[in-house]
Amino acid sequence: MMAPLVQVEHLEKRFGDVRALDRVSFDVDAGEWIAIMGPSGSGKTTLINILGGLDHPSAGRVVVDGLEIGGLGERELTRYRADKIGFVFQQFHLIPYLTALENVMLAQYFHSITDEKEAAEALARVGLSDRLSHVPAELSGGEQQRVAIARALINNPKVILADEPTGNLDEANEAVVLKLLRELHDAGHTILVVTHSRAIGNLADRRIELEHGRLARIIAPSLAKD
Amino acid sequence: MFSRILWRLLGASRGRLTVALIALTSGAAICSALLNVNLDAERKLTQEFRTLGANVIVAPRTTGSDAALLDAGVVDRIEALYISAVAGVAPYLYVAASSGSQPVILAGTWFDQVAKMDSWWKIEGGWVSSRGDHDHCLVGFNAARQLGLAPGSSLQLRSGNRDISLTVAGIVTTGGAEDNQILTNLDSAQALAGLAGRASLVQISVSGTASEIESVTRKLAEALPGLDVRPVRQIAAAEGTILERIRGLLFWTIALILVLSMLGVLASMASLAMERRKDVGLMKALGGTVPRIMRLFLAEAGMLGAVGGLLGFLIGVLLARWTGERIFGVVISARLEVLPITVALTIGVALAGAFPLRLLGRVRPADILRGE
Repeated sequence: MMAPLVQVEHLEKRFGDVRALDRVSFDVDAGEWIAIMGPSGSGKTTLINILGGLDHPSAGRVVVDGLEIGGLGERELTRYRADKIGFVFQQFHLIPYLTALENVMLAQYFHSITDEKEAAEALARVGLSDRLSHVPAELSGGEQQRVAIARALINNPKVILADEPTGNLDEANEAVVLKLLRELHDAGHTILVVTHSRAIGNLADRRIELEHGRLARIIAPSLAKD
Repeated sequence: MFSRILWRLLGASRGRLTVALIALTSGAAICSALLNVNLDAERKLTQEFRTLGANVIVAPRTTGSDAALLDAGVVDRIEALYISAVAGVAPYLYVAASSGSQPVILAGTWFDQVAKMDSWWKIEGGWVSSRGDHDHCLVGFNAARQLGLAPGSSLQLRSGNRDISLTVAGIVTTGGAEDNQILTNLDSAQALAGLAGRASLVQISVSGTASEIESVTRKLAEALPGLDVRPVRQIAAAEGTILERIRGLLFWTIALILVLSMLGVLASMASLAMERRKDVGLMKALGGTVPRIMRLFLAEAGMLGAVGGLLGFLIGVLLARWTGERIFGVVISARLEVLPITVALTIGVALAGAFPLRLLGRVRPADILRGE
């Protein structure tokens, strides 16, 4: 039996006296789509930041693709983010003075070497082949999020971490982004999505629900429906 | 990709970078102007100093004897050395003579050289301009008063059983020994004293700083064994001190200008750093290492410094020319050696001024992405 791609064991994160995550444990298999849900302040973003190597755990163990990230220094964490993680943020977080193509190439640049053709193909995959030379200000919210998805995919990451990817989008654009996520999942990508949306939660293989920093329940929507 | 991002960075922050560029260009222009003025002014000042009289003396080594004289041919030996720093050479023969019952000192010399070396002398009447003029003399201010002489007066001098007749061309005031002497052609003095081909000493005017004068003195001493070659310390030291003070003033002025220019850059870069916190946080989240991100910003600052230095050099050349004409009354030409110095200093200032951007390396991506 294959080891899980992501292992989280007794994970704790404290900010002063506040316990943002309290002994959270779960596994994620390669190719799974996980929705992380819960009310505001339940620790969803903190969890995804730790999984993405943006923050350090206070206690517990996090292993991603065989690498225990809790003990990594800043330099190793930076390499880890470049090699294994693709981020999609609610606020899109594109560099405003770079074009769509250059925003995608920026991730290549920090990973290894840039390949303009490959970056253009990634944008074509998310339906933006006619927007390569547009800067973010010239793109709609949905288009910006699609650029962010292309950027997240460009280095073939082990895990895609999306924090409220449709939170700033209208219904039409939400549908486009969801379709993209579904396609990525079908293509075998491992996706962890922080969301408030039941619709997204129901599309996932499993829902991890947090409350007050604790793991409240893990639900497999398909089984629940059955 | 590096140059692509760099280009975009420059384009995105045009306003703030223009302010930084203006600060750098202004600083570089003043530095370039000062360096250009200094290099040319130093050369011109040393030329000016050479009109203030001799600063090296060659005399017979024997001391305590009034009869000690040297061969006037030593001047030819000095000239044969072709030392470019030697601006003038004048032999002097001092003769004790009398005008009627009044004892006087007659100094025989080459007036064409004296006119070059001592052009500052105050003359009432006219100079004796030619080395071959055997009929005229200059009379020191005190001697003229004592003997009741004025320009155009005739003068009979006697030494032993020899006489010469001279006409006073001018009354000279130097504030030195010349005020008590009568100066005439060397040949006339030698004839009066019966000392053909002899001189009491040779005065030499050497251009340069104190150390350069010392070096020429050593060279002359080696070429003239048996003679005493010595710099006139007060003059050489005073000239050296003036040049050193000018250099010191220049150094501190440039340092001050560079610091002010750096503060200007620092202010712009501090605002720029605030603007770029989010970008740096994102770049780090995407796997950008601090050195790789900082290289972008330092390259940006370096480019700014290079452009500012180049523009500043060109403006500085014009400024130096204007300053030279308006203040010193001379044309100051561009010195190419100032270009690399100005550009290097400006790049250094730009990199130092980019310090706030370097602090961005401490940005925590999680904080930025949270919106803090």
